[in-house]
Amino acid sequence: MMLNPILEKDLKTKMRSWRTFVLLSLYLAFLGGVLYLYFLSNNIMFDIYGYSTFNPRIAVNAYNVIAMFQFSLLALIVPALTSTAISGERERQTLDLLLCSGISTLSIIMGKLLVSVANIMLLVVASLPILGMVFLFGGISFWEVLLMFLYYIITAFMAASLGIFLSVTFRKNVTAIIASYICFAILAVGPVIALFIWGVFFGRNYSGEITYGFIAKFLFPSPGFGFISFLAGGHSSMFGFGSLVNEINNFIERDPSWLRHFKPWMLNSIFNIVFSCFLIYLSAWKLNPIKKRKRK
Amino acid sequence: MLKVINLVKRYGRFTAVDNLSMEISEGQIYGFVGANGAGKTTTMKIIAGLLQPTSGEVIIDGINIFDSPRTVKRKIGYMPDFFGVYDDLKVDEYMDFYAGIYGIPYRDRKRITDQLLELVDLSEKKDFYVDSLSRGMKQRLCLARSLINDPKLLILDEPASGLDPKARVEIKGILRELKNMRKTVLISSHILPELAELCTAIGIIDKGKMVASGTVEEIMDKLAGMRKLKVKVKENTENAVRLLQEQPSIKGIRINGNIIEADFKGDDNILSLILKRLVLQDIPVISYTLEGESLESIFMHLIEKNGSESYDA
Ligand SMILES: Nc1ncnc2c1ncn2[C@@H]1O[C@H](COP(=O)(O)OP(=O)(O)OP(=O)(O)O)[C@@H](O)[C@H]1O
Ligand SMILES: [Mg+2]
Repeated sequence: MMLNPILEKDLKTKMRSWRTFVLLSLYLAFLGGVLYLYFLSNNIMFDIYGYSTFNPRIAVNAYNVIAMFQFSLLALIVPALTSTAISGERERQTLDLLLCSGISTLSIIMGKLLVSVANIMLLVVASLPILGMVFLFGGISFWEVLLMFLYYIITAFMAASLGIFLSVTFRKNVTAIIASYICFAILAVGPVIALFIWGVFFGRNYSGEITYGFIAKFLFPSPGFGFISFLAGGHSSMFGFGSLVNEINNFIERDPSWLRHFKPWMLNSIFNIVFSCFLIYLSAWKLNPIKKRKRK
Repeated sequence: MLKVINLVKRYGRFTAVDNLSMEISEGQIYGFVGANGAGKTTTMKIIAGLLQPTSGEVIIDGINIFDSPRTVKRKIGYMPDFFGVYDDLKVDEYMDFYAGIYGIPYRDRKRITDQLLELVDLSEKKDFYVDSLSRGMKQRLCLARSLINDPKLLILDEPASGLDPKARVEIKGILRELKNMRKTVLISSHILPELAELCTAIGIIDKGKMVASGTVEEIMDKLAGMRKLKVKVKENTENAVRLLQEQPSIKGIRINGNIIEADFKGDDNILSLILKRLVLQDIPVISYTLEGESLESIFMHLIEKNGSESYDA
């Protein structure tokens, strides 16, 4: 059994490069900073409204804030990590050396993809202590967190496939990076805009009921939609997501169709997996300099 | 070993490779010569399976590269004219990485790597970062890399370009060793003397067309026409001259003491036949040499139109 040589090499060089540790430190510092600011602002609230005891609601909200920040940070990092994977090899003039070896282009793509996913996993796992602290107070179960991490990985996988596909498509690093941010933004916000446009033009004449299933048909490609599943509900609180999350959950429950059983993250993950496979296959095909010829 | 049939590569309306055919048999060192922009790199990239031609066939070791590119690529070693290195790898890690890329099992890698680094004289640099190597060393490292799968066919695109004379000599030394190892090599250059002594065959490409190809001697015959035959005899000069004058392949004759200079046009068979006749006539031949026109001048003659030569890419 042989490890993918590209994965093996990139992991080795990444782990001993200072960049990885700078990235990791910045990432943790940022999460920690957000958390600190959050508690600080709550302390001020305590003073104003005169709560005297520890309030677990605040911890739940802190969990939500942190999870959201983490998710957005990952969304910012993944395109930067992946969109130079192939264009970087091209710019460095090492791509031909890989392509002339007879290694399958699928192996090259998968190697690059797994490197970025491993990189993301490193960030997520390293942030566990920070999040753990919050869960401790927030009453979030271990399984919920594990599920959220699974969703992170699946989303990162999709974002990485997208980045790599654009990296194969565009020859220059810069173009590839910009393109992947644009595409990722379109993916995240586009469905919401589509739903909005629908509402403006057709909403008035629509006689059916606006159900969860109906909205999901618009929003399923958006990572933001999938992420909603992981916001923790709670008692309605002064500020924060608790009540909003409860509303959403009720809304989902009310849907009469079978879609009710599929949480947003499941629908989004199914899309992510299918879309990733498509992008990976397309990237491998595009990267291949020689297309097999059919015998006449 | 390598057969290229009617290869065409067009970029838009520009034809970079124009109906080019060539054949290289096993163990040959084939020099691929042409001026800048003649189409050498394009042709070699197509042969290495890195570029889709507009039309034409490439058959390597009996297999058409467009039928099973990956099988064929495993048999090839390719060194591009411009290449990069991963600057964050050490020399032995670099070799190890490409060994992995070629699917060589872990247990064999160290042995192969050591052997090849020895061949290109980089054993001492094993623990150095690739980035710290000199240009010539990087070139040698890339050459070692291209040999990692023990290729049947080696494609080297200007392996000595951009190097100083000393580094060029080192590369040549390695190529000579490859020749001794009976590797089949396709090597390109836009400078002829660089290849003349090394190659067993030469193909000259100009504006995408193969204008001449064959063994070094054949090309010389074909292009130079006349060559100077020098015969040195111990005695009996008159007899020798008379016999030489009877040969249809010999034109003018000049006598200089016991040295006879004759203008000769013909191939090796005729050449040896003439020697045989001289010996049969009891003429004591001391030396018998054919002086060819230098390849360089043939080349210049061939591509007079763009005769100006620039040395470094
Ligand atoms: N991607 C491309 N698009 C358009 N034209 C190209 C492309 N690649 C090469 N060419 C053209 O094809 C011709 C042949 O180029 P090639 O690199 O094969 O020449 P060469 O013989 O290797 O020259 P040199 O000695 O400078 O390396 C050149 O005129 C070049 O401009
Ligand atoms: Mg070239």
